[in-house]
Amino acid sequence: MRSRQWRCIEELENNPAFVERAAQEFPMLAEALAGARSSEQSRRQVLRLFGAALAMGGLGGCFAGEPSGVLIPAVHVPPGLVPGQPNHYATAHVHAGYALGTVVTHQMDRPIKVEGNPNHPSSLGATDPFAQAAVLSFYDPAREAQVMGHGEPSDRQHLLTAVAAAREQAVTSKGEGFRLLTGTVTSETMAAQIDRLLKTYPAARWHQWEPFNRDSALKGAQIAYGRAVDVLPKLDAADVVLGIDSDLIDGAPGWVRFARDYSGRRNPTRTKNMSRVYAIEPAPTLLGSVADNRFVAGPKALHDAVTALAAGLLQGAPAGSPLPWVQPVIDDLKAAHGRAFIHAGPGQPAELHALVHAMNEALGGRGSTYDLIEPVAHDPQLQNESLAALVADMHAGRVKTLVIIDSNPAFTAPASRGFNEALQHVGPSFALAREPDETTRAVAWAAPMTHEWESWDDARGHDGTATILQPQALPLYGGLSPVEMVALFAGPFPGAALALVQETWKGALGQDFTQAWHDALAAGVVPNTASAKSDAKLLAGAASTKLPDAPAGISILFRPDPSLWDGRYANNSWLQELPRPLNKLTWDNPLMIPPGLAKTLKLGNGDLVELSAGDGRLTVPVWMQPGQAEDVVVAWCGNGRRVAEGAGHGAGVDYYPLTAARATATVTKAKGHYRLASTIHHNLLFPNIDHIVKHTTLPAFRARPDFAKSEPKPEIYHRKPPGPAAWAMSVDLNACIGCNACVIACQAENNIPTVGKEQVEMEREMQWLRIDRYYEGTVEQPETYFQPMLCMHCEKAPCELVCPVGATVHDSEGLNVMVYNRCIGTRFCSNNCPYKVRHFNFYDYGGQQRRPAVSWNPDVSVRARGVMEKCSYCLQRIAAARIAADRENRPVGPQEVRTACQAACPTQAFTFGDKSNPDSDVAKRKQSPLDYELLEDQHTHPRTTYEALVRNPNPAITGTPA
Amino acid sequence: MAAIFRPGANLAAKLGLIGSAALVLAGIGWWWGYPRTDYRRNDNWVVDQVVPFSHQHHVGGLGLDCRFCHIEIENAASGSMPPTHVCMTCHSQIWTNAKILAPVRDSLAQNKPLVWNRVTNLPDYVFFNHSIHISKGVGCSECHGAVDRMDLTYKAKDMEMTFCIDCHVNPGPRLRPADQIYNTEWQRTPETPSPKALMAQYHIPSRDLIDCSVCHR
Repeated sequence: MRSRQWRCIEELENNPAFVERAAQEFPMLAEALAGARSSEQSRRQVLRLFGAALAMGGLGGCFAGEPSGVLIPAVHVPPGLVPGQPNHYATAHVHAGYALGTVVTHQMDRPIKVEGNPNHPSSLGATDPFAQAAVLSFYDPAREAQVMGHGEPSDRQHLLTAVAAAREQAVTSKGEGFRLLTGTVTSETMAAQIDRLLKTYPAARWHQWEPFNRDSALKGAQIAYGRAVDVLPKLDAADVVLGIDSDLIDGAPGWVRFARDYSGRRNPTRTKNMSRVYAIEPAPTLLGSVADNRFVAGPKALHDAVTALAAGLLQGAPAGSPLPWVQPVIDDLKAAHGRAFIHAGPGQPAELHALVHAMNEALGGRGSTYDLIEPVAHDPQLQNESLAALVADMHAGRVKTLVIIDSNPAFTAPASRGFNEALQHVGPSFALAREPDETTRAVAWAAPMTHEWESWDDARGHDGTATILQPQALPLYGGLSPVEMVALFAGPFPGAALALVQETWKGALGQDFTQAWHDALAAGVVPNTASAKSDAKLLAGAASTKLPDAPAGISILFRPDPSLWDGRYANNSWLQELPRPLNKLTWDNPLMIPPGLAKTLKLGNGDLVELSAGDGRLTVPVWMQPGQAEDVVVAWCGNGRRVAEGAGHGAGVDYYPLTAARATATVTKAKGHYRLASTIHHNLLFPNIDHIVKHTTLPAFRARPDFAKSEPKPEIYHRKPPGPAAWAMSVDLNACIGCNACVIACQAENNIPTVGKEQVEMEREMQWLRIDRYYEGTVEQPETYFQPMLCMHCEKAPCELVCPVGATVHDSEGLNVMVYNRCIGTRFCSNNCPYKVRHFNFYDYGGQQRRPAVSWNPDVSVRARGVMEKCSYCLQRIAAARIAADRENRPVGPQEVRTACQAACPTQAFTFGDKSNPDSDVAKRKQSPLDYELLEDQHTHPRTTYEALVRNPNPAITGTPA
Repeated sequence: MAAIFRPGANLAAKLGLIGSAALVLAGIGWWWGYPRTDYRRNDNWVVDQVVPFSHQHHVGGLGLDCRFCHIEIENAASGSMPPTHVCMTCHSQIWTNAKILAPVRDSLAQNKPLVWNRVTNLPDYVFFNHSIHISKGVGCSECHGAVDRMDLTYKAKDMEMTFCIDCHVNPGPRLRPADQIYNTEWQRTPETPSPKALMAQYHIPSRDLIDCSVCHR
């Protein structure tokens, strides 16, 4: 007996209003019509609008679309440029200091798309949502800023004069009072410049600040090993993984790689030795959501559990824990000696990290399931202390010159530190920032920073491998690069950034520098630059580290927003409108509260509460988060930007003022309600259906591998398409971790516009690819399933039957194509689509985007108002492959077409290709016993099929599977 | 009581009825016909350009190959105008002081691109790829006409959807041997391989060429 799968709490509770609304294809229209029924006035209003729409539609049809425009050839053609053919250049996306290797696709020398770099160990060809969204940030007009001096528009010359004055002062004072503030730095070139600066001014100091830093991990390493080391997990070798509030696959440097390694051990049809993942956590993480056994544990329970785990693993004592699951976990970990790995998240205290080091050593995983390496970051600091020391010195007037590079402390520093007030006591302050923000408003001199695609630099990946960042374009809006800025302060300007970067790598690249340099640029990695393995020895005392007592009462946890991180991406509308993995919220960051607390306080989603922590007080909306511990509330920082000239303007709540407390909070009900735009209840498939995500356990799978298949039924339709290829996709639900990289990749590739919060509330979001998240079980401890949903390209497509104008038709290769110029917008197709993957363009969303025309993908139509759109299986990529193959008179290769989602996916959940070609990956995956068609009772014969989910829970905990 | 209408009113009424019917018919005729006019389609209408470039002189007279200026066209998806640099390959040597070429010299001197007006333009939802047509034996003049005889450049074919579809349904008669692609004067002769033979030679059709997805994305 399967239990029911549900998306939101209202659905689980069968809330009648919700059920009625969910039954409507266009709920907002249904609401308007319901209003029309109740009042004569609005009935007339609706008729009036219908009439007006008809007339306007007729007039709109008269517009013929003049062939017009101009052709502008270059004066000199850059080498290698072929009109309409893409070029690719390797670089990296640098996030919180760490590089993710990327390859940027150019059309006519303009960057339009990001792909992962297969050569880069952090990427292996995949990307995260941030790297995908870099295109939009690159072209963001909000970046257009000029030099500001003391609040007045200024120019570069005046800035350089001010810099020279500050430099002179630093020279005379030997750097006394000179402070530099950056984020985490892995760039060798930047490090060289900073070292040069600190050498020139011996009394100067360098501070580091990332609001979501890994201080506790660093401190934990210092406790355990007496020095800084980085942990390099090797999940492909781990049979048993335990995540303790872990961000291993949703934020840790290198998570894209870890997700790949994780997924390689998850599909029992492809791995003989499926791994088992445990998670102990107060609030759901992605690792917890896909774990085989997930234990909800608030700070108190987590403290007890880890203490018991440590006792069991390190002292060999019986757990003696009241938590019944601890002993089986210990047994399982011990049984997997040398093949087990434990990971703790950065939100946990340093002592816990030290204990995890000790437990990992005791489990014998070092060298097999993980390595200890020399720290990747340059001169790692405890950043909370570093910022605190800086602010204290600023208050005391000891800071004469402050230079802030690519950091936004005026927004992200905890309020109690009083960064903004302290800034009043500083001599000249300088800020270099990607776009105007809170800090550039507060400092004396603000200069625009070049985008990472506009200047030379380098950066290291999670394992230390270095990438040279080559500029992808000349600066669109001018500006200085971080390296140049530091170099300016360090002394007479020694040359352009390119010279500085070449200087850095001169030694490492060997004899034939020119060749090696070009090779390194082309490959996107500098060979043999990974961090050396550390020989650090575990200190004797590490195993007996005592955990700090857990706070009583309700704890508040601060987490980076899954889409906006610490706020640096808040101006990116793709990321703002990206439904967050678990609650599908867009544009907002309400306080996540456990469902029990919601019941006690009689709160629903969007109700306002008074939240106080420490001295801070905020009135914020709440969201009920299933699977969250009852003594924990979670605040996502990053939204609520005070100074944001792009999409971040006016979106969300700023929790940073509370972050100093990092302890307990009180939550009381306040009056009022706030409208939240979550897509959680949008595009529901049939209500109350229980087999959308088919799943089982490993033993049950072994007993019946094809459990997801049903009896084949006789067919009277002949449905073999005549074309030379049969395009199809297979989605592995065992691999999907819900990370959203595919959603943004699809948005970038297919020119999908954002619609804004109000339109999302009206269920008009346009993303062609969405990830449905289903829960099964109780709200307190649900099982979580992710299911990517995109057009199924049904062979018997219901949408095609109802289109009155033939705007959606099949082609000979089995693609269900949308012909936009035929579509008249009846929306019948969407109504008839059982998978709810069609999106109607209600307004001219494409025309309203804040992005220049050159930033769109020229191979895809920018859809106009009034047409239906949906996933095309990246038709433009298929077309490019068809043309390339036809020109050479050969068939399209089995792996030649990769869709945008497939290319971006960190876990290789998507496989696409010609299923009629037995050499193609997709044909092989479709042979999997797990392969099933979604809603097969609809007889649509979708070309997109899924591999059912198999989980591997510990039978000693869950009991024998039924 | 006297009649309201005099006998002449009959005529007026008839004329009125016929007139309105004629107006309606004329309206329909206009609605149907106007979009099909050369004027509306910009067919055979010379487009003003920054430099009055003559294909007749350069191609017909001097015998320059199409690809001398329209570089990479056999590999490119979209056609392109020659960069200023290409014009100046010759015009730095000949006609160096011609007034008519001043914009070209200025472009190079000031590093400012020339701006040409479009002669042919397909709608944004049509994705035409030059390279595949060239490699499959469709000559330039099939779509662009006898460019070598144009004093000033104009659009020679209407380029409506039927124009494309006619060929996609039956490409054979419009194919030519690979060495004649850039010959704008080429005509089928008795020695030319048959349409069927050319289709086989170019491996056409390798797929259904009238699928919507071939041109529209």
